[in-house]
Amino acid sequence: MTPEGISELISRVALRDRSAFDKLYTSTSAKLFGVCLRILGNRSEAEDALQDIFVKIWNKADRFAVADTSPISWLVAIARNHSIDVLRARKPATAELEKAVGLAEPSLNPEQSAIASGETKRINECLDQLDSDRAAAVRGAYLNGESYDLLAIRHRVPLNTMRTWLRRSLMKLKECLER
Amino acid sequence: MSTIPPDDTMPEGDDFVAAEYVLGVLPDQERQDAARRIETDASFARLVSDWQNRFDPLNVQFQPVTAPSYLKSQIDQRLFGIDSGRVAAGASFWNSLAFWRTVAVAALALVLFNFGREYVLRQTGPAPVQLVASMASDSGPMRSLAVFDGKSRKLRITLVSGDIPQNKSLELWLIAGKDAPVSLGVLKSPKVTEFDVPAPTAAKLRDGTTLAISVEPAGGSPSGAPTGAVVAAGAVSSI
Repeated sequence: MTPEGISELISRVALRDRSAFDKLYTSTSAKLFGVCLRILGNRSEAEDALQDIFVKIWNKADRFAVADTSPISWLVAIARNHSIDVLRARKPATAELEKAVGLAEPSLNPEQSAIASGETKRINECLDQLDSDRAAAVRGAYLNGESYDLLAIRHRVPLNTMRTWLRRSLMKLKECLER
Repeated sequence: MSTIPPDDTMPEGDDFVAAEYVLGVLPDQERQDAARRIETDASFARLVSDWQNRFDPLNVQFQPVTAPSYLKSQIDQRLFGIDSGRVAAGASFWNSLAFWRTVAVAALALVLFNFGREYVLRQTGPAPVQLVASMASDSGPMRSLAVFDGKSRKLRITLVSGDIPQNKSLELWLIAGKDAPVSLGVLKSPKVTEFDVPAPTAAKLRDGTTLAISVEPAGGSPSGAPTGAVVAAGAVSSI
């Protein structure tokens, strides 16, 4: 479905159009479920999260009109933010931390790289200009919902050092993207 | 070393907080604070959406996975339905659209009874069009009922729950298909406001048309189009 098509569906959902909500679910739930699965790493939590996310989408659809993002980005942001909130609320956090420290870093496989759009290439090029462990920290945070605590443990640095690293990396990333 | 090289100092500023919010790395309390700020601080919200736009290209790396088919019906159940097989919890029952639709029908019966008698007594000829809309939102307390009489072109609206916010106005809109919303006016009272609907607008009021209430600056939207949040909406149906 085109971005315009999704925008229209979200606007109709804001007006409580249930058939538009059905269509929006059909065309976007797989992508959003992918976000939940990637961040939460288990199916049952991801299924609960997806339900909560579509309840939020129904309730917050009127806010899309004032959002300055593409419709799919708006939806993915809701899914990411919700999944990250679920992740942070998990108890006990330490068990999750230990488990997560062992996870492999995500990276694009060659096929995905080949189909990546110009913009995707660009952000990856800019990330690649950072030190590799800092780029990995930025990707791990965005794609896997990793927290400062976890990143600090993985990279064996104090939390404040991690935060300083990451902020500096973000500054460089922004400069690169705006070049 | 007694001095900290500039490279080791943490850069500060809202732009970083916005970026950290988008990345999702903020500690819990700061994350909650940032989420609240987005709602109230437009310039901070702008920084957040700028960062969101910068990171969007990474979204292609989230691989779509088909969700199990039963999830959608569970979502519908939560949002719209009182499943006949289950007893609804008190709170969700009172907040459910189904409940307010029932209230609308009941209120309508009363309206019909009262107005109906007058029509029966006073008029001859074809029965006038009568329309009703029950407006609600799942996210807020606002419930409203509107009744339109096609003959007099008068639309009466009342707030069943919720109130007119201080120093703001609630504005009623008619949304027909893909047309831009048409203002019907500002609610003068939470009890009953009566609008005279001009003939061209009245012609658009029919089954399936949406009525919606938005929060606007006092006196109504300055632009003629809704500018604030939609706090209640519902479809018109004939009776």
